[in-house]
Amino acid sequence: MSDPAVQASHLGKAFGTRQVLDDLSFEVAPGDVIGVLGKNGAGKTTLLELMLGFTPPTAGTVSVFGQASQQLSAGNKARVGFVPQQDELIDQLSVADQLKVIASFYPHWDGEFIDRLCGEWGVNPAARIKSLSVGERQKLSILLAFGHRPELLVLDEPVASLDPMARRQFLEQLVEASMDGNSSVIFSSHIVSDIERLANRIWILKDARLAWQGDLDSLKECVVRLHIRGGAETLEAMAISGELSRRRDGDFMTVVLRDFTPAMQADLRGRHGVDVEVESLGLEEIFLELHR
Amino acid sequence: MFILNPQSGIPIYRQLLEQVRRMVASGQLAPGAELPSVRELALKHAVNPMTVSKAYSLLEAEGLLERNRGRPMTVASRVRNTSQLSRRIEQIQPLVEQTVLAAKQLELSETELVKTVRKNWEDEDE
Amino acid sequence: MRAIARLVYSYFTSTPLTRALSVGGLVLCAASLLVLTSLPQSEHMLAVAYAGLLAFFLGSAFMPLMVGKLSRGHAARLLPHGRVKLLVSMMLTVALVALPAGLLTPFAYVAGVSGKWSDLQRNPQLLDFTINLGWVIFTSSCILAGWLYLAMYFITSQRNVAGFAKGLLVVVIIIVVPTREVNDLSATTSSNLLKLAVAWLVFGGLYLVWPRLKGAMANWRIPGLPFFGASSRTSGREVDLILGTANPWVYIAAQVVPVFIATFTGLASAAIWLYFLAIMSAVTGAVSGQAAERSRALWLRSGWSRAELFAQVEKSFWRHNSFMLGVLLLLMVGMGSYSGFPTSLLAAGLPLLILGTVLSTYLGLMITRGLGWTESLLGISIMLALMAVPLLLQAQNPNLVLVAAIEFKLLLLSLVLRIWARRRWTHIDWTQCRPSRVASARNA
Repeated sequence: MSDPAVQASHLGKAFGTRQVLDDLSFEVAPGDVIGVLGKNGAGKTTLLELMLGFTPPTAGTVSVFGQASQQLSAGNKARVGFVPQQDELIDQLSVADQLKVIASFYPHWDGEFIDRLCGEWGVNPAARIKSLSVGERQKLSILLAFGHRPELLVLDEPVASLDPMARRQFLEQLVEASMDGNSSVIFSSHIVSDIERLANRIWILKDARLAWQGDLDSLKECVVRLHIRGGAETLEAMAISGELSRRRDGDFMTVVLRDFTPAMQADLRGRHGVDVEVESLGLEEIFLELHR
Repeated sequence: MFILNPQSGIPIYRQLLEQVRRMVASGQLAPGAELPSVRELALKHAVNPMTVSKAYSLLEAEGLLERNRGRPMTVASRVRNTSQLSRRIEQIQPLVEQTVLAAKQLELSETELVKTVRKNWEDEDE
Repeated sequence: MRAIARLVYSYFTSTPLTRALSVGGLVLCAASLLVLTSLPQSEHMLAVAYAGLLAFFLGSAFMPLMVGKLSRGHAARLLPHGRVKLLVSMMLTVALVALPAGLLTPFAYVAGVSGKWSDLQRNPQLLDFTINLGWVIFTSSCILAGWLYLAMYFITSQRNVAGFAKGLLVVVIIIVVPTREVNDLSATTSSNLLKLAVAWLVFGGLYLVWPRLKGAMANWRIPGLPFFGASSRTSGREVDLILGTANPWVYIAAQVVPVFIATFTGLASAAIWLYFLAIMSAVTGAVSGQAAERSRALWLRSGWSRAELFAQVEKSFWRHNSFMLGVLLLLMVGMGSYSGFPTSLLAAGLPLLILGTVLSTYLGLMITRGLGWTESLLGISIMLALMAVPLLLQAQNPNLVLVAAIEFKLLLLSLVLRIWARRRWTHIDWTQCRPSRVASARNA
């Protein structure tokens, strides 16, 4: 198993008395695509900023490519790409000039690749950044992070302002980037469907902690909704481990479970003599249920 | 070739698994037929290539697919005939369960259900 | 290295306009150099040289803004050797901008004493002197350029008339203080180099450690001190909060400090001091330039008609500006009497400051469709008039009648501007005010 791209141990960040992140420990392996979900204000941006050393942690450690984030060497910085939530483009410059300025800092910049993407994504190199629409600005911000072919790509709500077609093009680019199995991607987004397509691991930030960190496939297999039919008293009295919520209407009940295993279905049937149907949930439903 | 729904509660790799199994069992994918490469499938459906790899690897372990160096995966040339029937029945089992449950909820009798099935079968043949 | 070169190139060629200025400036400097070495010196050639130097400087005017944007964002932290390269690019730009001045001066001097280069070869002392002169001017220009870039930073990073005026103020101050030394020929290369070294060490040091400093400070949180992380809150009327006029004390502080500096660094001439105050009274009113953009929110939240909106906005600005005007007037009377300036000056100065505020307030309110030619020309003429009065008062027997006439005309103009502004507001079209500018100015 090769070295993790990012590693954190008991990471915490507090602003004054407000504890934004508390005791986070995680690892990002090369080739992982991690989707970060959380309500607004849950600390997604703070987490990403801590990871790349933009702000110092108040507890714990976090390192990138084996080096503490606050002390990243220039060589390691060239292996990381970041797309911030608010673009940081220089309005006076043209698109081409902005690209050239950022490109000049990196020893390996794939100019042809970026030119091709500009064409495919409809970004005009001669346009003045001041005149670009919000979507075009966001596309340019993404391109600026792609050009040096980073091994670790961190994106903070990168597609919030893109139309569906632009989002699809961006996703396709991420698919290409993750083909070699060496590059890792960490992105936070509210557009759950994008994360569902692309991520193999999910982090859910809730109450300053990681309420879930694991495979997306396991998440979908573990968090399910059971539709149970049986006598009203039986249903009422049923105690199910890992239950997140339940709703009962007469002799029909739905229960959302956190740690479902297939054996539980037969078990419940046998033990309580009820009819159990299993409904698997999409990621958005799971997110909502975890926050109920 | 495949219909993948990322928003479904069923993980993508599992959807792919079941679809390939069904297509092989029904003969839609003949032995030796080439499957789309991981890259092709991942790009077409905009999904993580590792998901596709996972499904393909599991199918290879099952003996359904064969890996060829430098070429895309192909359906195994020797798909065991004996298991075909039970496999096919296994494939349709969930649908049958659903139909039976629905019939029970609607308070249809077994005879009435069988009659409906037969009628549908005959209509399809026309 | 490539990054530094690319950065410097971008500073000089950011927009087509700045590119033209940079190239044009260099061409003019080169032309004047050629002329100075071949033809006898003429006033015109010096003017061309000055124009070239100014153009070349203006070509890089966006440098502070660009560096600021890159430094404040995540780029400076993630670009390999980001901050170091940005710092070096700044220093290199300052040197580049000062270079033509340093090169041209020896030639101008030689041409000025109607000598030839062949004379210099025979006279080693003269040669030494000329070369030394070149170095002195080069290093002085570096210092000057640094201050001018600071002024440019104010002008370009605050996209409103107030920022512009503040920048102008910095320009005026530095023209008075450092260039005095050059005129007195009291500057030497070594003293300049020392000043440069200290300034750049302090600036560079702070610039490089700033991120760590900020990170450490964020963990300190001293309650009540707005700088240390906690956001300051202002309370007041909704109108004032939306328009940004709720807290005049910040602006007052920003104006008072330069006045004190100006008075106590020995601005001998009362007229120049009054000119300072007049400019500042204009800055006072210039905040109103943003009113049109910001009033959109007001319009949506209240039930006022456009005419009522104008009346409310006007009242809000007068609530804000009367404080500042009062403070300025007090300063003028107080410091004027302390410095023993003539009474006629003070008497003429009172209405001048009031007029400065009134005119700039209404000129700002007139900006409902962005800064156009009309507003710019009006602004320039008003500035010129405000400058003219102190100049007139400088004479031995000042022509008070002329002064009164000018002030009266300015009064009439202010009434006209008010009517004009009110009429524009009844037709205000917010899509033309580009409200997104306000948001981006806040983020800049």
